[in-house]
Amino acid sequence: MSGFRHGAGRLGDAQLNFTFDGKPMLARAGDTVASALLANGVEVVGRSFKYHRPRGVTSSGPEEAGALVTIGAGGKADPNARATMEPVTQGLEVFSQNCFPSPKFDLMSVNGLAGAILPGSLFSAGFYYKTFMWPAALWYKFYEPSIRAAAGMGVPPKVADPDIYDRIQMFCDVAVVGGGSAGLSAALSASQSGLRVVIFDEHNDLGGQLLNEANSDQNADLEQWRKDTIAALEAADNVTVLARAVCWGRFDGNMLAAHQSVDGKVRQNYIKVQAKKIIIAAGAIERPLVFGNNDKPNVMLASAARRMLNHYGTATGKMLAVFTNNDSAYQTAFDYSDAGIKVSAVVDSRQYPSEALVDGCMSRGITLHTQAVVTEAKGWQAVRSIEIADLAANGQSVSNRRRVACDVLAHSGGWTPQVQMAAHGGKPPIYDKTIAAFVVGDQAPDTYSVGAAEGENGLLAGVAQALEAAKAACAELGGTAGAVTAPPQDRDGATNIVPLWSVPAKGKQLVDIQHDVTAADVVQSHSEGFVSVEHLKRYTTLGMANDQGRTSNVNALAIMAECRGVSIAEAGTTRFRAPIAPVSMGGFAGREIGKHFKPVRRTPMQEWHEKAGAVFVQAGMYMRPQYYPQAGETIDDAYERETEHVRKKVGICDVTSLGKIEIVGPDAAEFLDRVYINMFSTLKVGKARYGVMLREDGIVYDDGTTSRFAEDRFFMTTTTAKAGPVMAYLERCLEIDWPELKVRVSSVSERWGAMAVAGPDARATLTAAFPSVDFSNEAFPFMGVVHAEHNGAKLVILRISFSGEMAYEVYATSEHATDIWQTVVDAGQAYDIVPYGLETLGALRIEKGHVTGAELDGRVTLGDVHMDGMASKKKWFVGKNLKQREGMVHPDRPQLVGLKSVDPRTPISTGSILVTEANATAGADKQGWVSSMTYSPELGSFIALGFLRGGKDRIGERIYAAYPVKGKNVEVEVVSNHFVDPTNDRVKG
Amino acid sequence: MHHIYCPYCEEMREEEEYSYTGEAHIERPKDPAAISDEAWADYIFFRSNPRGIHHEMWYHAAGCRRYFNATRDTQSYKVHETYKMGEMPTITAATVAANQVAKGDAS
Repeated sequence: MSGFRHGAGRLGDAQLNFTFDGKPMLARAGDTVASALLANGVEVVGRSFKYHRPRGVTSSGPEEAGALVTIGAGGKADPNARATMEPVTQGLEVFSQNCFPSPKFDLMSVNGLAGAILPGSLFSAGFYYKTFMWPAALWYKFYEPSIRAAAGMGVPPKVADPDIYDRIQMFCDVAVVGGGSAGLSAALSASQSGLRVVIFDEHNDLGGQLLNEANSDQNADLEQWRKDTIAALEAADNVTVLARAVCWGRFDGNMLAAHQSVDGKVRQNYIKVQAKKIIIAAGAIERPLVFGNNDKPNVMLASAARRMLNHYGTATGKMLAVFTNNDSAYQTAFDYSDAGIKVSAVVDSRQYPSEALVDGCMSRGITLHTQAVVTEAKGWQAVRSIEIADLAANGQSVSNRRRVACDVLAHSGGWTPQVQMAAHGGKPPIYDKTIAAFVVGDQAPDTYSVGAAEGENGLLAGVAQALEAAKAACAELGGTAGAVTAPPQDRDGATNIVPLWSVPAKGKQLVDIQHDVTAADVVQSHSEGFVSVEHLKRYTTLGMANDQGRTSNVNALAIMAECRGVSIAEAGTTRFRAPIAPVSMGGFAGREIGKHFKPVRRTPMQEWHEKAGAVFVQAGMYMRPQYYPQAGETIDDAYERETEHVRKKVGICDVTSLGKIEIVGPDAAEFLDRVYINMFSTLKVGKARYGVMLREDGIVYDDGTTSRFAEDRFFMTTTTAKAGPVMAYLERCLEIDWPELKVRVSSVSERWGAMAVAGPDARATLTAAFPSVDFSNEAFPFMGVVHAEHNGAKLVILRISFSGEMAYEVYATSEHATDIWQTVVDAGQAYDIVPYGLETLGALRIEKGHVTGAELDGRVTLGDVHMDGMASKKKWFVGKNLKQREGMVHPDRPQLVGLKSVDPRTPISTGSILVTEANATAGADKQGWVSSMTYSPELGSFIALGFLRGGKDRIGERIYAAYPVKGKNVEVEVVSNHFVDPTNDRVKG
Repeated sequence: MHHIYCPYCEEMREEEEYSYTGEAHIERPKDPAAISDEAWADYIFFRSNPRGIHHEMWYHAAGCRRYFNATRDTQSYKVHETYKMGEMPTITAATVAANQVAKGDAS
């Protein structure tokens, strides 16, 4: 217990209740989880990633690396949330992470001890790569499960998130990233031009570092300025103020991406803002100092300790010590002292702090240690004292170690400008020695970075930069930025920093607190050859934690630079990439989740299928009947029955999902001659023809049947899968390749419902259904096309067959399709007509040896599927030039074959590899693969289609279909792919 | 995320509505049956892939479903202009270079 409520800060009066690991806690409106936990005296909030060391609140902002908690329970649980960024709401449930059984007593912290006993072995840099390499077999059985059990932070919820996430598009002239003094000034000035302005800030309260200032009489005018500026922005019609919105990336076309947390039905908005000009006022983040046990709870950034006191009315301890290498941390000591809290020491690694600071300490009775460092934070779980020592002039050693009592240590290693957003759009940042940090190099187009984000920490100087940027941005957009009141007080931005990258001391010195990367790990990474900053990052996982390197990067780079004997500028930074903060996946998905992820297409006959008890399967976007089980039937029983019935009697199948395209115009026939390998200009009106399309590279693209309705009018069908792509391809041909052709193409897929009626009794069935149509072989031969009308429905009937039986495809206008379907079913009762689904459709076509998407997979040539004979020699067509290249016609290419199980009741798995040895191992000669399989009632055997090297000439051979993953090895006979009726008598009968 | 002007719809639309479909202004051989495999391969497979100004075809797939041309910088991704099929660009690598010379930009 060290933290406590002290003063009002800027919080409201309302009391809120929340729980931490089930324990009731009190908060005030405006508290974050971090400030409330501190106020309730909680020190240990969780455990660290690798060593399970105790962790507490380390910051007051997005850079939080210690206090990571799970917010909410059940589906609403949000793991790894930064306690500093989560507002407390009434009844909020907060849980610690990575600790068993509790954060204060954690069994896994033995890892930390092991690290001490075996330095540099267990869990040190690269431990994933080194420790768990061999033997490989142990990975699955031992290493991976144990790492997963031990590592990781929060647990992702196992139930669906009940909250709603939205996506929002915004447009603006000027976007301002950051709502501190600079951002607020820039936004207000820009807004007075009348241009549209959007300003983001990730905190609930705007003001940036102004919120660190004491809310005292002395600062009343400054606080009033902050409030007035925010009020003016909120009142302006042309300004959108987005609080609690983390702007996490900048993309092409000046697009900014942000996630905004909101209260209400919607939990978060994913906002995309298209900006003409971008002003980045993202501020700076204080970085930690690297010394022994600097990860111990109650070691926190000086600015955070200050904000906790001044903004959240939470004293972080009863006795404060400060450790710094620059001026800014002194104000924390002064504010605590002025608030009546004891400050036991200010430890400054510099030799000569300014007179004003020295006087400030003296007048408050604060002991100042100069040219001194904190070597180690002490205490069982949280800080109870510190060991300090004098630093040698060369910085390499310490002497005169002594103890200083304190229960909170506020430290500051300087300030790191938030350059990520600027770096996303431009060149790498450059090192600035005066502030010992990286600043924005060349500005990206249309971008201005200002204030602390640009390395200018002075209050008035930063605001002046922001106003300049607003003026320039507005001027380029033809507007005039207005004059705004400057803040009534100034804060000097000079930190007079003397870098101190690490302290020569014992104990674990953490660089990346969340990922447990120590200064020793950085040194080890260097000694093992991972010297580039990009390698260092990947080898140690440094900077990959929630804070994305905000606190750790500069320190690590500096230590690496020191190891390499190069300057920090030379060592450089890793590349900045979006997102710069953790963002929820929910925002990206928005409302397009579950059934809304992808629209479901249904055929006009959907309801009929449902009533008939069909089991549906999703085929592309379509819901299609897979089979129609009768009482007690399995899927296998059902499709075998349906298949047999079609072969013996008659069946009806919904084939609406086929792509349908009308091709119209005087050059329509010429156009089809170019895109199909076979002739269509010779096709007679009232006839259909099967056609195959190639790609320009000679690979088979799609197939289907095209009918000629009139001299200048064709009706093309495509496969279900290629309906969209073929349409786009035809449009492209007409627009780009042959604009001179007078042809229009139009997708009519939705216009027609389609059904296949197949089986020996198909003709009798349709004759009974549509008495006005003459279905005799003479009047309506194979490949004939008939137009008809029936009860107001327009019909197109094609006599074509995919099943290999006598068959017709009936196309009916969509609104009448169910009636027509019912008409056929009623007429077919006399012939015991059955509806059949996709399984039977597949079984029938495999028996017949027809290819579909499983075979036409973008790798096969005409020769591979024995269709080379179809290619016209009289004309040019797409794919003709390249289909004859040697690789495309090589006799050893895998060619389509039929495969029959030697033991008829043994199934052949799709995806099996074809080999010649019975007991093939991984190194066996793979001669082909199985593309489709079915049980064939007609043959009384399992059969399959597949591709076999030189398969055309290997009919009769016995080989094996191996499926090593399932431990299957099936002996098969190579046969023709036409299992049933190879002479086509049935279809023509 | 770009906003791209469709010269047929005559509106700025989101990048998501479009798909890129390759380099523009590649003339299709008039008589493909008569040309060598090399010349055909050059037409089918080989593209200029320049650094900087590139003329390319885009398809307004979720809009008017028409193809048009765009002039885009492959380094900055900036889309400089869009124009209809059959039209010629007003911004080219040559005009950009000439502009730079005029501005005295030696880099």
